[in-house]
Amino acid sequence: MPRGQKSKLRAREKRRQAREELKELAGAQATAPEEEESPSSPSPSFKDVPQSSSATETPSNPQVPERVHSTTTTAAAVSNTRFDEGANNQVEERPNASQAQDTPKHWHKSHIEEKVTMLVHYLLHKYQMKEPITKADMLKNVIQVYKNHFHEILKKASDHIELVFGLDVKEVDPNRNIYVLVNKLELDYDSRVNDNRGMPKTGLLMTVLGVIFTKGNRAAEEEVWKVLNMMGIYAGENNFIYGEPRKLITQDLVKENYLEYRQVPNSDPPRYEFLWGPRAHAETSKMKVLEFVAKIHDTVPSAFPTWYEEALRDEEERARARAWVWGLGKLHVLQCKSILC
Amino acid sequence: MGAPRPPSPRPEGGAEAAFLPSPRTVWAALGRLVPSYMQGSTRRVGIMTDVHRRFLQLLMTHGVLEEWDVKRLQKHCYKVHDCNATVEKLEDFINNINSVLESLYIEIKKGVTEDDGRPIYALVNLATTSVSKMASDFAENELDLFRKALELIIDSETGFASSTNILNLVDQLKGKKMRKKEAEQVLQKFVQHKWLVEKEGEFTLHCRAILEMEQYIRETYPDAVKVCNICHSLLIQGQSCETCGIKMHLPCVAKYFQSNSEPRCPHCNDYWPHEIPEVFDPEKEREAGISKSNKKPLRSRQH
Repeated sequence: MPRGQKSKLRAREKRRQAREELKELAGAQATAPEEEESPSSPSPSFKDVPQSSSATETPSNPQVPERVHSTTTTAAAVSNTRFDEGANNQVEERPNASQAQDTPKHWHKSHIEEKVTMLVHYLLHKYQMKEPITKADMLKNVIQVYKNHFHEILKKASDHIELVFGLDVKEVDPNRNIYVLVNKLELDYDSRVNDNRGMPKTGLLMTVLGVIFTKGNRAAEEEVWKVLNMMGIYAGENNFIYGEPRKLITQDLVKENYLEYRQVPNSDPPRYEFLWGPRAHAETSKMKVLEFVAKIHDTVPSAFPTWYEEALRDEEERARARAWVWGLGKLHVLQCKSILC
Repeated sequence: MGAPRPPSPRPEGGAEAAFLPSPRTVWAALGRLVPSYMQGSTRRVGIMTDVHRRFLQLLMTHGVLEEWDVKRLQKHCYKVHDCNATVEKLEDFINNINSVLESLYIEIKKGVTEDDGRPIYALVNLATTSVSKMASDFAENELDLFRKALELIIDSETGFASSTNILNLVDQLKGKKMRKKEAEQVLQKFVQHKWLVEKEGEFTLHCRAILEMEQYIRETYPDAVKVCNICHSLLIQGQSCETCGIKMHLPCVAKYFQSNSEPRCPHCNDYWPHEIPEVFDPEKEREAGISKSNKKPLRSRQH
């Protein structure tokens, strides 16, 4: 954020707070809704005139036509939580009018509720993308100034998601604060193994695929375990999300064609290695796996030039293959088959 | 998104939510909604069963689905979680779910593809309407590339922006400098994530992007944006009258001029010069077993 903006924001926020409190004492119910609702910014983009909304996290500099969801690096992201200005203030007004003394608490509470909703959206988006969620990400993109309330907000968001979507938010790696959404629905028939839309196996699977890819498309079993151990997953120890990990990666995921597990040729005593299975090739790509790896290391795929080049080449080949398949009209058939998985 | 849209599923009555006729006015009215969870309303939440939850999970996973896929999905969820129950009518099923999602500012939204009139469904955020979903997935320069492509698409006559034109703007991007080769990759990423669609080297908006971003687009580009004369929704691809310039979606044209041997412009009454597409018929589609990609595309680039 450019210099001087933060203090401007704070000053604005202070003025706004003072305004709110004054109004509560006066018992006025209607504040100046025109402030929030009307796009006083003449620019065609955002109605983000959050002088009176939670301006603390959105830079309300009227000269900048683009509005920012998070104040950090994705500064040019054109995004906004509109209910910010509208619902938020209306919500404040009604209960507050009758509880003048409670103003700060209520106002505060509705901001938290807003963050809960935003976090719900964010977590669901990550589920859709099949990506793990780090605490850092959540703080940066959603929670922002309310980081002291992180656990409260996360708990509420998790409750909503569990109730409405049947997904659990579970912390997979407490050391690095990585979370995943896990399908907790009981299924009538045994499709737990087949239910590969559930995140937990996907998180573990992506990790293993990442190890394989970064070790030159084949990884010795020891290398895979070294990484899994760092995540707190050990062979023989029943992990509450993954079950028994060794069985999972050497049998279950192999049976599902995500991984290949074979003896290293001519090894004596026999050693084993992992490769990508055909289904992994079909359902994900080197680039996607590299993105996952980069994410875990809090960087971007292009930070690993050799792997990035390889992933790019893979993308080109896939694009060519896709064009061919599309032309033959097979894609629609493939879509039909995968709809229920 | 197609001829007169059915009223957006919204609960009638209820203490807090007045009946809101369409997603557009939902947004305007959003400021007056008190989220039901704040009032401790549990009656709505009670109707969610595992069938509905599973349905939501799978719909989310697929991003956007066509109506016949959605029906199959619904049946699948019943089979898996509650095989004895009768499968509820799809519209009611979705309305049910939407009434629960409302307090989270999420909705299952129904739309129609612009090129061939297929009904589609997607889970969209109501409050964060714009590019915010993309904000956490893309870097600053990538988002700017998307914005540039979006502007070209909206300004174009056909609703398509050529790859060349987009790539030529690479130097004007905010953030880290991007090479043209990288930009090609980023465009492919947009296609993969279903924000853009590519046809013969040209890009337009994916139907899901239109569903999610209509509000944002109408507000960000109020002068450049085109609107269908029939359904009044955002128009990216469509046909236009050569005399008076009004535009219509292809599926809207199909419905409006259905079995009309002398189609005339609804605005200026001049003869309508373009080929009238057929109304989308899901039954015929299934019977013929025509795969979507094999079907000769309706002349989607008329203008």
